[in-house]
Amino acid sequence: MTLQNSFSRRRFLGQSAFAGTGAAASVMSLDILKSEAFSKQLKQKGKRVLLLWLAGGVSQLETFDPKPGRLTGGPFQAIQTAVPGVEISELMPKMAMRLKHTAIIRSLNTKIGDHGGGSRLMHLGRRDEPNLSYPDMGSVMARELGRLDSKVPDYVTFYTATEGRGNAVGRPGFLGSRYAPMFLTTDNKPQNLGRLESISDLDHRERADLRRALSARFAQGRVSPALGSHNVAYGRVRGLMSSEALFDITREPKSIQDKYGPSLFAQQTLVARRLIEAGTPFVKVSRAWWDSHGQNFETHLEMVTELDHVMSTLLDDLEERGLLEDTLVITLSEFGRTPTINGSLGRDHFARAWSATLSGCGIRGGTVFGSTDEDGQHVKDGEVGAAELFATIYAAVGIDPHHEYYVGSRPVPLVDIGTDAISEVLV
Amino acid sequence: MRLSQLIILVVLGLTPLSMVCGETSIQDIVDSMLDAKMRQVNITAAPLADDYNILRRTTLDLIGRIPTAAEVDRYVTSEDSNKREQMVDQLLRSPAYEKHLAYDLNLLLSPAGNSELQSYLEQAVTQRRGWDQMFRAMLLGDYEDELERQAMKFVKLRVKDLDNLTNATSSLFFGVNISCAKCHDHPLVIEWTQAHFYGMKSFFNRLFENGDFIGERDYGALKYQTTDGEQLDAQMMFLSGKAIEEPQWTSPNEEKQKAEKQQLEQLAKDKKPVPIPQYSRRAQLLDIALRGDDLNYFSKSIVNRLWYRTFGYGLVMPLDQMHPSNPASHPKLLDFLAKDMSDHGYDLTRLIRGLVLTQAYARSSRYDGENRPPQMWFAVANVKPLTPQQYAAALLFGARNPSQFANDDATKNQTEIDSVHAQARTLAVKFEVPSDEFQVSVDEALLFSNDAALEKDLLANRADRLIGELMNLSTDADVVALASKSIMNRPVTQQEQRVMMKYLKHRKDRREAAVIQLVWALLTSSEVRFNY
Repeated sequence: MTLQNSFSRRRFLGQSAFAGTGAAASVMSLDILKSEAFSKQLKQKGKRVLLLWLAGGVSQLETFDPKPGRLTGGPFQAIQTAVPGVEISELMPKMAMRLKHTAIIRSLNTKIGDHGGGSRLMHLGRRDEPNLSYPDMGSVMARELGRLDSKVPDYVTFYTATEGRGNAVGRPGFLGSRYAPMFLTTDNKPQNLGRLESISDLDHRERADLRRALSARFAQGRVSPALGSHNVAYGRVRGLMSSEALFDITREPKSIQDKYGPSLFAQQTLVARRLIEAGTPFVKVSRAWWDSHGQNFETHLEMVTELDHVMSTLLDDLEERGLLEDTLVITLSEFGRTPTINGSLGRDHFARAWSATLSGCGIRGGTVFGSTDEDGQHVKDGEVGAAELFATIYAAVGIDPHHEYYVGSRPVPLVDIGTDAISEVLV
Repeated sequence: MRLSQLIILVVLGLTPLSMVCGETSIQDIVDSMLDAKMRQVNITAAPLADDYNILRRTTLDLIGRIPTAAEVDRYVTSEDSNKREQMVDQLLRSPAYEKHLAYDLNLLLSPAGNSELQSYLEQAVTQRRGWDQMFRAMLLGDYEDELERQAMKFVKLRVKDLDNLTNATSSLFFGVNISCAKCHDHPLVIEWTQAHFYGMKSFFNRLFENGDFIGERDYGALKYQTTDGEQLDAQMMFLSGKAIEEPQWTSPNEEKQKAEKQQLEQLAKDKKPVPIPQYSRRAQLLDIALRGDDLNYFSKSIVNRLWYRTFGYGLVMPLDQMHPSNPASHPKLLDFLAKDMSDHGYDLTRLIRGLVLTQAYARSSRYDGENRPPQMWFAVANVKPLTPQQYAAALLFGARNPSQFANDDATKNQTEIDSVHAQARTLAVKFEVPSDEFQVSVDEALLFSNDAALEKDLLANRADRLIGELMNLSTDADVVALASKSIMNRPVTQQEQRVMMKYLKHRKDRREAAVIQLVWALLTSSEVRFNY
């Protein structure tokens, strides 16, 4: 996606020159320079989140909720994991050995079975609404875990495939553009981070100083959050430019590059690890396209094997660097896949009983929450929806899920009212 | 009776407003009412802005670009006591005024990034159609009329999601966002219940798409479930709570349905519109919304939106929360302007002209004293982020060689101006449409800092560009003066001059680069990014 597109993609945040709708944030409560108290202590703790977005809908039966020996089970077996009594698909032998860091939630019933609606639900944690633009998980994390003066980007998204890209919303909504993602689609490096050859580094820096001096004079006696944000944005440019190297994995030792391996998903996950290590609070790496209406088992044989390798390498790497206890790694899709195998040996969209995983920060590793019936057709116990999952994710990194933002006079809780985190999977 | 006395009577509600309108201009009444309120809350207004500031502000607001250096010179040197009014009227006569108003109306009325209504709006504004006419055309346009056919895009873009159509109509035309009342009675506004939401939706529940056209049936009910789980039939109900009785109707039998289906298929095949039924629910909405007491929603909402567009803050905020629990800062003023609007054929330009001619509009955005007055009193001008189109135009005009627009031949001048202005459309897509809590993204700052295409657009050393002209000047003082005048539309201050001259002096060995960097710093400065 070009920068131009990424701007127009974000147009729905704003309405117009004289719309001034409720889609925008409240007058003062979201001023980026205020309400620091709520998140200050969290920021000091340096919590981070890495979302592996499995776009198109990964099958829970070929990953974390296998049903071997049943008509719905498919050809793959289940294997014992390092956690006694817990089995996952044989396609994930590496994760089976490392399950002590991971909680599996097997009882998601999210009700929306189309890619667009499901993706928005699993990015926003709630149903989308035409007249209030909610922020997605990444923007909330950027705001609550990031630092205003950060020299690294605070929300980076990788989505190279074209299938489903438009559904994977990354939007700050009423939080404002300060928390919009850097959206990487064609390259593993963001646009406009590198200085043009036509200007020297010294001149690049000093012309920014001149710009700042002129703008500071203008700002005297004038008060406006938008005006403030203009200078904050320019103030971040030089710092962000210095983060360009973070996107370059050739700076990693060869041994680390080899561990991750050559696939695009693996390389982007390695960049994500570099960003997380440097302090970026939220990175999303998307792997598409899991939508296996036909040949489900070939697709999953290949893609789950890659996921198993990348996810386990990532968890090892984070652990070795001492980052895992502060980094939450999530695997999530818009929905799972039908237990019933269709005539093309495929599995279709299925939002009624599926799985997601949480690893690392704040998570009670080795737990399995909820279960499905013996064919995986229904949730048997512990049914939860998107709101509970999001509450759990926020709670894991120390954010109170019942915190409220104010949009105008309207209180907007982080997650839908009446939903709580799944305490069983939290430390 | 003196004006001030009359105003007091009006404010006290003792004098019919009609007595006032014929005699006094909108701008005088607005100023009197704002001033009275300021006295009441003991606030001192900011002083008036200078001529440079007023010209830039008004030109950006009315025609969507900054003034050229020649226009600045003409305005500030004029000693005509009536020059501001003349300037406003000249801008209002310009075709660029119509284009710019239509552009803003399209941003308001279209889903994000969509400009399908733009062409309709441009023609409607050019033909001075009233806002009520535009509203009618957009909801129940006549497909036989080429212009109204385009207006029906408003419904067409939303008909697949009737909740969205209902709420967009209610928010955009009546200033009432009722989406909260869809699932439950509105938590903050006791006046809005589920019956209101489904009552409003009932005006649209018989709409459907047939080929390129919107059709409406003369049968069909809307059911909804209350929070208590009760199933109810919705009754057409306007926001005021007024319910509408409709004649008896029956659902067609299978045979009739089949015939209807065939007829619709044929119409779609022939690319013909579906005839509007004798009893149209949509028509009921138009009738009730544009009539009697219920008119207030429609009139007040457009007044509040135009006020917001002019002043950067509404008489009611947020703009889609115009309900009794959220009163206007100046209720009588809003009443007066709403009445004036409906009494004068919903002429948008009449109100816009009145507002930009107020003293309140001409105030400085700078307030050096302590206790800056809250926005709601309009004692200080607001700093408004430019729309993508305005910002693109500000950059492109600022980066041009000003002598291009200073021909003796007025026609040639205008051609040059129009040509640069038209290019702003292309550049505008790079910028974000500001909401009322707009924040500039770091992407924008990175774009200006490191993007090659933008550099080529704005910073080329060519004869038709500012930089080309600056390179011909011999002294640094001249460079600084011309660059400032072209980009900021005003003379440079001493302090600014010192800073910029120093910058150039340090780069004597690379003068071209120095001039380019100076222009960059001016173009990206906050002063250019905002209307202040």
